[in-house]
Amino acid sequence: MKRRVEVKLSLPVVAPLLDVIRELSAELEKTLAAPQALHDLDQDFRGAWIGDLLDSQNGDLRALLSLFDGEFFTEGVVAFDETNAEPIVRACTAFRLQLRERRLKTLSDEALETGDVEMAGLDEPVRKAFMCYLFLATVQELIIQHLDSTILGA
Amino acid sequence: MPESRSHTRTDTRASTELQIEDAWRVVVLNDPVNLMSYVVMVFKKVLGFDETKARKHMLEVHELGRSVVWTGLRETAEAHVFTLQQWHLTAVLEPDEAPR
Repeated sequence: MKRRVEVKLSLPVVAPLLDVIRELSAELEKTLAAPQALHDLDQDFRGAWIGDLLDSQNGDLRALLSLFDGEFFTEGVVAFDETNAEPIVRACTAFRLQLRERRLKTLSDEALETGDVEMAGLDEPVRKAFMCYLFLATVQELIIQHLDSTILGA
Repeated sequence: MPESRSHTRTDTRASTELQIEDAWRVVVLNDPVNLMSYVVMVFKKVLGFDETKARKHMLEVHELGRSVVWTGLRETAEAHVFTLQQWHLTAVLEPDEAPR
């Protein structure tokens, strides 16, 4: 049986985070979210390897962005299923890596891991980036909790 | 017959030496971003681990900073590294020389 998970999100909370996600997507168009050490590969092979990783990453980011279409802006609902769960769960990781690298440098790794951050003490751009970081983690957890077997069976 | 046995011994030794020379490790390094549940899922998906083995390697990455998740021929090791990198884990290829 096909599994589908629908989630109703709070529009006033999530909509402002989409600006951050779109900016991250543009930044990641030609950059890997997790730079990799590829010393053991020859130059030509390394170029093709990175190109394939970038293609895959961009496909994943597009899948996540496509969640936020007309239905989201009218109903506040997004849906995960067997076709989009895998790319979206990967895209969340790519965006979170980029957030840490580009927008959350002022927060320690320990704070990012535990989520133990005093939000009121953050500047607005950092606060927004951290909200986005937590939102994407929640999406990942939802997908893993409800669609883990779908992803593993794909 | 004895001659044949001798050939078999030689072939076996050559084959063993080839396997040792060609062995490469797939090593996953820690990062502060990926959720534990995500890393467990990726190990199950990419490497075919069961839940217990996936959790063991995830904790090794988390606590020791790295875990050797696969050892074998280079071509397969490269395929595993590529797929783990597609899932945004920091995965590297190492010749299987130093102690694990």
